Amino acid sequence: MDFSWTKQQTELRDAIRAFARGSLNEGLVERDREGIFNRAGWDACAKMGIHGLCVPEEYGGLGFDALTTVGALEALGEGSRDNGLSFSINAHMWTAEMPLLAFGTPEQKAKYLPRLVSGEWIGGNAMSEPGSGSDAYSLRTTAIRQGDHYVLNGSKTFISNGNVADLLLVFATVDPAKGARGVSAFLVEKGTSGLQVGKKLDKMGMRTSPMAELFFDDLRVPVENRLGKEGAGKNLFTDSMTWERGCILAPAVGAMQRLLDACLAYSRQRKQFGESIGNFQLVASKLVDMKLRVETARSLLYQAAWKKDQGKSIFLEAALAKLWISESWVACAQEAIQIHGGYGYMTEYEIERELRDATGSKLYSGTSEIQRTIIAPLLSV
Amino acid sequence: MPDQNAIMAATKSFILSEFLEGEDPDELTEDVELISSGILDSLATLKLVTHLENTYDIKIEAHEADEDNLNTLVDIAKLVASKL
Ligand SMILES: Cc1cc2nc3c(=O)[nH]c(=O)nc-3n(C[C@H](O)[C@H](O)[C@H](O)COP(=O)(O)OP(=O)(O)OC[C@H]3O[C@@H](n4cnc5c(N)ncnc54)[C@H](O)[C@@H]3O)c2cc1C
Repeated sequence: MDFSWTKQQTELRDAIRAFARGSLNEGLVERDREGIFNRAGWDACAKMGIHGLCVPEEYGGLGFDALTTVGALEALGEGSRDNGLSFSINAHMWTAEMPLLAFGTPEQKAKYLPRLVSGEWIGGNAMSEPGSGSDAYSLRTTAIRQGDHYVLNGSKTFISNGNVADLLLVFATVDPAKGARGVSAFLVEKGTSGLQVGKKLDKMGMRTSPMAELFFDDLRVPVENRLGKEGAGKNLFTDSMTWERGCILAPAVGAMQRLLDACLAYSRQRKQFGESIGNFQLVASKLVDMKLRVETARSLLYQAAWKKDQGKSIFLEAALAKLWISESWVACAQEAIQIHGGYGYMTEYEIERELRDATGSKLYSGTSEIQRTIIAPLLSV
Repeated sequence: MPDQNAIMAATKSFILSEFLEGEDPDELTEDVELISSGILDSLATLKLVTHLENTYDIKIEAHEADEDNLNTLVDIAKLVASKL
């Protein structure tokens, strides 16, 4: 077992970390306060190749394997404090690009992937509805076939990138009586008649990642825009969720490393009772716990990606990674505030935002409770 | 290399022990519908896919892990055999 990165992987990680540190952090406190998406930052990331890290070169991507990709995204999260921007990029990659790659026809891939990879188009994934969250397949949005179109009616909520997306992967049922087996996926372009983008949703954290409700009122989608077979939505969602669970928190591992580094520096520099606070064992033990969390989170992330690269399914590994990284990120952010004392609680020190950003990770891509309900049966409990 | 009958027999005993404990093995015939009947729910299907990949050292693609390919013991054996 070799835990080292190759020279090329190290250079890629270094380049992305330095780019992110230098280009994505300015004005973040204001963007977070106002809930502003950094489109220029999005474009700059796309130019760096981030949006297409694991998309084959024929579609304009860099064609890296999953492990190299999560390593690069970890570096993005370490360099950039804009967790919302990283999240938007990851939602775009794992929930729009990857399902297209796995289930798209050659025509669908040729039409959409190059635009998503170049960052010209923004992708999003619309599954959750007001009445169906964890129980995703009980969705109510219908898709009724009429000749060479499907007519969609219903609504979606909590859709990341929803109000800025050019392409949405929308899940709807072709027959509610069929339950999960009726769920199908559709590629819906911005501006399609019948698609209404609701108000931007204001939220606790990830405020620089836009989120909206969507409404479908006789939205007509051409049959050629169905992704996968009719009724394959469940299969497709399982695949995209597995990618998402395994990889979407790669930047969070970088963010945890960044928090640990900030806490180490602060505990050396901050003096109380005539000495550095890091000399107090109660503070030092928090740093030890943070270090443990970063390392174990990183191991689970790399394990899931590595196994994916071996051509194996990663249902268990992805759920473990998602569960542990999200819970560790929240715990690290809480410790970071505690170590920084009152300053950690102040907006201008940019530590409190990390806790707000981290908290959502225990909800999206399946809540922590749902990850546990996936993991237990996979252990043959 | 195991033939389709051997794959079917091995898969049948996996399904019986994992998901149908205590059930009469004779009732799990080769054409019993596993997914459409609800014997295998979503998580059970993930478990079956993982088991088949590990046992036969194959990769089941995302678009293959559906009712068309995994609904009966015959379907499963055909899919696995096509990858050996
Ligand atoms: C930042 C963020 C971004 C998001 N982005 C998207 C997006 O792009 N696209 C999209 O479709 N959705 C998105 N979501 C929605 C997200 O997927 C849902 O919030 C999530 O699936 C939970 O659904 P819910 O909010 O309806 O909660 P519910 O499902 O109502 O759950 C409420 C509580 O009950 C628990 N619970 C539910 N079922 C069980 C069970 N069987 N066992 C134990 N506990 C259970 C949950 O864990 C939770 O604690 C996003 C959410 C957030 C916070």
